[in-house]
Amino acid sequence: MTTPRIVITGLGLVTSLGTGRTAWHALLEGRSGLSPVESFDTSNHSVDLGGEIKGFDGASACRRVAPQSVGRAGRLAIAAARQAADDAGLMAGDALATRWAPERVGVAMGTTSGEPGHVERFDDHWLAGTLARDEGALAWLYPCHTIAAHIAEELDAAGPNAMLPAACAAGNYAIGYAFDALRERRADVMLAGGADAFSRITYTGFARLGAIAPERCQPFDRGRRGMVPGEAAAVLVLEREDDARRRGAEPIAEVAGYGLSCDAHHMTAAHPEGDGAARAMREALRHARIDADAVQYVSAHGTGTPTNDKLETRAVRTVFGQRRVPVSSVKSMIGHTMGAASAVESAVCALAVAEGRIPPTINFEEPDPDCDLDCVPNTARELPVRVAMNNAYAFGGNNASVLFRRID
Amino acid sequence: MSSASLRNPSRDGRRRVVITAVGSLSALGDDEAFGHGLAQGTSGLGPLTAFDLAVAAERGADVAGCRQPQAGEVDFDPRRDLGAANVRPIDRTGRLVAAAAGRALRARGWSADDLQALEIGLVLGTMYGSVHTISAFDRRGLEAGPKYVKPLDFANSVINAAAGQTAIWHGLCGPNSTVAGGLTAGLQALGLATELVRGGRAAALLAGGSDELCLESYVAFVQAGLVAGTSTGAHGDAPRALPFDARRDGFVPAEAAALFLLEDAEGAGARGAHVLGEIVGHACVFDPRRGRDPERAAATLRRAISDALADAALDASALDDGAIDVVSSGASGSRVVDSAEAHGLAKALGRHAAEIPILAVKAQVGEPLGAGGALQTAALLEVLRRGVVPAIHGFETADSGAPDLCRPTTSLELPPRETVRRGLVTSLGLDGHAAALVFETLDRAPRPRGDAP
Repeated sequence: MTTPRIVITGLGLVTSLGTGRTAWHALLEGRSGLSPVESFDTSNHSVDLGGEIKGFDGASACRRVAPQSVGRAGRLAIAAARQAADDAGLMAGDALATRWAPERVGVAMGTTSGEPGHVERFDDHWLAGTLARDEGALAWLYPCHTIAAHIAEELDAAGPNAMLPAACAAGNYAIGYAFDALRERRADVMLAGGADAFSRITYTGFARLGAIAPERCQPFDRGRRGMVPGEAAAVLVLEREDDARRRGAEPIAEVAGYGLSCDAHHMTAAHPEGDGAARAMREALRHARIDADAVQYVSAHGTGTPTNDKLETRAVRTVFGQRRVPVSSVKSMIGHTMGAASAVESAVCALAVAEGRIPPTINFEEPDPDCDLDCVPNTARELPVRVAMNNAYAFGGNNASVLFRRID
Repeated sequence: MSSASLRNPSRDGRRRVVITAVGSLSALGDDEAFGHGLAQGTSGLGPLTAFDLAVAAERGADVAGCRQPQAGEVDFDPRRDLGAANVRPIDRTGRLVAAAAGRALRARGWSADDLQALEIGLVLGTMYGSVHTISAFDRRGLEAGPKYVKPLDFANSVINAAAGQTAIWHGLCGPNSTVAGGLTAGLQALGLATELVRGGRAAALLAGGSDELCLESYVAFVQAGLVAGTSTGAHGDAPRALPFDARRDGFVPAEAAALFLLEDAEGAGARGAHVLGEIVGHACVFDPRRGRDPERAAATLRRAISDALADAALDASALDDGAIDVVSSGASGSRVVDSAEAHGLAKALGRHAAEIPILAVKAQVGEPLGAGGALQTAALLEVLRRGVVPAIHGFETADSGAPDLCRPTTSLELPPRETVRRGLVTSLGLDGHAAALVFETLDRAPRPRGDAP
């Protein structure tokens, strides 16, 4: 039996630059979705820049799930999942079309923090002496597996249901999980992606590490001063290609393979030689049976912190040698959306191979000899990309690379 | 069992996945104490000492119904398990996982060089990671100001912190994945790890689950009405974990870490491993009604079981041939979940339901959340090895209307087998997940001396 090809048949994006293809076009235009934080008081911080999705409520996307039982990350996830399901033609109105047995539709999602808003509420009650009003939310509403569960409840997906909290590489882990579930025929359709909500806890942590850029995010620039926390959700609908063709769906791109590795070096700092990052890239290439020379675009982890971008450059050069493969970071525009980031960037790679356009790294002014890459500065590029690679690195040394190929 | 039993390293063209070591810490103690306590019918549960619920009551928590709080605590000295090195950067969940991993790796006899050469992976199931670490970090920011939060706490605030810290501690460079799935996380992790070995992504992986006992989750469980003794306000006797029993009124919160070393059978044979058993099938499915409809919940568990049996190339008729010797169930004393689990097992096992003995280890170790499925698997391994199924601790009478299942009230000896012994592990979550795993010993396990016959 030949190994089935896995294709993307739908995309859903909820970002600070809008939703769906609107977000994609804003990324190509090089717009910034960053703005001063409004959802909590930042007066005790020395920074206030964030990637909040202003005005997002998400209650309207919850048509089966009671919205009051869903945290912000879950609402972002449901909104992205509904979009992706509509985009793929899975839905008949609000419900999964009868073509699919619910048992054959699964969900795999990644996150960094799950629903930290529920911990924040618990802590506010703790300080106010009103814990009784929390009513066990940490048991019922907080655990991060509820994100994948809410999507499944909303779309009636009764197949495999997995939540992979691999921090800032989580979206890629979820896509890898879905890829294997389809290849092993544990499901016929998988919705896979990532979601994270803007949170006081996350913002405070990165601020304490001194990692947040004060004015803008400048990956690979010599003057880069840090990352910017953001929020987003992205969901990809994956199917086996023969199934998708049989129902007349137009695949957007192929997921060609993925690779995982662990630095086993430091919780918050990358390996000094980019060792784990390079191993994840090579594992993905080995798994997809694609030569490094065939990769024409790399969506970088590219957070904009001095260390990440330097070590990532080293890892990319280790794998691709002296060849100047275009490497860009959409985090320059929407910030670091945590567990959603690599899912958003996977959608970017899928659209890049589908349309032959690469989004830029914005705010680029001065080259850094430590980041000697073609970072597609400031302006999107037309380039017939056949193979794209999406890299993601996380706290805990969790690395994941996913490869995308054009449908020819 | 020896490597000689690994004559056929693949099954239906797939790599076979064997278990070659175990490391666990639970309320019954570490590995040997766990097996012994399980067989002797010891309870690892006792009065909660890890923290004082009165602190939460002062903060306005409604914990008055919990008069004699019980817990399944791990008696754990990190120095004993993790040596003299600095454990300060690691929170309790992480320390439990690192300690369990160390036990499994030592049992396998691997050196640091071996570990590096093999690029060992880790797949960890957890419900919370550490909600205590996250909450403490946030409260410090609120009380002292954001500049006074601790960077170490922030590093551990990610849900994959325990897996990352354990990889650093032991130098595990292979695929490293954390799986959240509520009470089913441990079985989900074993399932994902099985797929990673079958797919050739790792020659060896540690896989299992862990959660810690902490004030934040304990208070939440009490306020959610899930804890034994809370709803009835038990007078007199301390509340107990009573899986499947008509008197049950909740679970006893617990902590644990349990990890298995999984290897591809061929590699394990070449490396001279002592094989403890084989994971032959697994499945994880979901109930979009989120467990609110008891019949649907039971049907979802049945589906997980039949999918796992199918993954093990066993069909319904295999049950007629005695394919399953024992079931290691996730029943914990929960009113709702135990009932759905009983009905799901009855549906899945059909007319053999009354014959196949059921283990309910949570009666003795409490509800260790993400570690549950892994501890259930450890219990199954012990039972298959010893050939004796212990009584369900404390079990007397099932609900009226409960299905006819074999819930032992005295220990039962498994009939002799000339071929494999096989067990099923089942896990039903609080809000929709169901998972199952099929495990077998490769041939008839030699019984330890002294056990009859």
